[in-house]
Amino acid sequence: MTSPAPLLAVEDLVAGYGERPVLDGVSFVLERGEILVVLGASGSGKSTLLRCIVGLLAPQRGRVLVSGQDMSAAAGAEREAILRSVGMAFQSAALLNSLTVAENVALPIEEHWRLDRPTARMLARLHLSRVGLAGAADVLPSALSGGMRKRAGLARALALDPSLLLFDEPSAGLDPITARGLDDLILGLKARGSLGIVVVTHELGSIHAIADRAIMLSGGRVLAAGTLDEVRAHPAREVQAFFSRETLARTGSASVLDVLER
Amino acid sequence: MRLALQPPVGDAAVDAARRRILGLRAGTKVVVDLAAVEDLDTVAVARLLTLVAEGRARGVDVRIAGARGSVHALLATVPLDLVEPARVASARPRLERLGAATLDALERTRTMLPFLRETIAGVLVPVGRRGIKWDIALAQMAQAGARATPIVVFIAFLVGVVLALNGALQLRQFGAQIFIANLVAISMTREMGPLMTAIVVAGRSGSAIAAEIGTMVVSEEVDALRTMALSPVRFLVVPRVVALATVLPCLTVLATAAGIFGGWVVGVLALELPSQAYLTQSVKSLFVADLLTGLFKSVAFATLIALVGAWRGLTVQGGPEGVGRATTAAVVTSIILCIVTNAGFTAFFYFVG
Repeated sequence: MTSPAPLLAVEDLVAGYGERPVLDGVSFVLERGEILVVLGASGSGKSTLLRCIVGLLAPQRGRVLVSGQDMSAAAGAEREAILRSVGMAFQSAALLNSLTVAENVALPIEEHWRLDRPTARMLARLHLSRVGLAGAADVLPSALSGGMRKRAGLARALALDPSLLLFDEPSAGLDPITARGLDDLILGLKARGSLGIVVVTHELGSIHAIADRAIMLSGGRVLAAGTLDEVRAHPAREVQAFFSRETLARTGSASVLDVLER
Repeated sequence: MRLALQPPVGDAAVDAARRRILGLRAGTKVVVDLAAVEDLDTVAVARLLTLVAEGRARGVDVRIAGARGSVHALLATVPLDLVEPARVASARPRLERLGAATLDALERTRTMLPFLRETIAGVLVPVGRRGIKWDIALAQMAQAGARATPIVVFIAFLVGVVLALNGALQLRQFGAQIFIANLVAISMTREMGPLMTAIVVAGRSGSAIAAEIGTMVVSEEVDALRTMALSPVRFLVVPRVVALATVLPCLTVLATAAGIFGGWVVGVLALELPSQAYLTQSVKSLFVADLLTGLFKSVAFATLIALVGAWRGLTVQGGPEGVGRATTAAVVTSIILCIVTNAGFTAFFYFVG
């Protein structure tokens, strides 16, 4: 590794809303040029983890280090510099509905790089064509399909050439072909080498296509971590169920019959 | 005791079983035997579970036995807590609730401070890299100002008419009808012009600000701004505060003029006062201080309306329904604050000015 500090280090992270922590001691590391897939059932803390990394939620304990810098300890210009090196693609894309697609992508460029408007717009179109949306630059987000919106959100997340990309559920709600297209996009980004990518997903197809390493969250903790094969070999019932698509309906909670039928 | 349910498990069968179970003493054990039941639909399952839950809530130990085949498979998916008697949440003591509410209010005030600080800082930097987003502010001015003009003028005109008519009834007794001009001019300029305009704008634009920003919060657009290291306060709040603080005084001037015109219409057309005398009397009654007071108030109202709308919008919780609540709360809060502030100003100027 050329740089001593890993691209992203999450150390003993505890975070949540109110008194009950959603994340309860999560640690992992991500290097440049690597795709880490975060797995876990709904409510296991995947989205909360992303919100912590990108600074939307302050950790109650522990740290998130991006290239060795702690975002929650930084303020002002320093924090802004860290934020600019992190791109976040939201599950819902979260495009500004009052701006066109190109204006959405151009917004961070104009604001942070102080480029003149034509250059910023050209750069935005460049990013849009990289995700295959060159033709949709001048429409409002409401006119886009779900898959196009996600790609536009990805283009905006990449607008400032971040070194860390976070992608929340790239394939949720998409048809298999569009989802595969997004997987290819993500792999293409990785091929550039310098970018580290964290993807939250539960699409098995995507996981197999893109994951270098994976962590599985359960109840706010890392249940299993490592390469995909290592995670899959983990004996925990939840991990096995996840990969074999077995139903989890009967585990955990007692049914009426367990107690009533004697 | 054993209760064998016979098919079909309908209202009649379950009601009979229920009467028997609810008639039992607490502590009695009842086994509902399903051995004879081949098939249960979901309604029958719900009836059966209600029966079990009611019995257990009364302390009767109701159990189910003998389920087989599809009935067994169906019951196996029902979580136990559906029929467990609900644990009664212990009510917190009144003092504790008071303390929690106080802490909650303090916490909300504390989170409001950075918002206010950043808004003030944003308004104070007119141009440059961190300056006001004038393009957004101009669009807001058109929306909150130009498009509000007809309704503001119309309402102020009617207020002027009503003031004049009410004044006429009283002043006629003294033959002092010409002083209607003073009454209308002074109350429109100092009080009714700024306040009526503020109330209309709170209803039109305060609600819009809360709804727009609230919707952006719900759709994660505000979060997206934050992740791009762009300040939601600078992009969403400051332009709206600047826009309202600019257009509300302008609207107030128009409203005041419309109100005075309303008084003139009543005075000249209905009370047959000479037009020239009415206008001269109006101008004579007003001082520059009255005008400035009205304008000063309208800037304060504008700031209140924009801040309340933006704060309610930014703190939306609970999805689209929350946006509706925030919008209502924004209008109610800002109108109350405007009226209270107005009363404070009037009292202050009465005793000091």
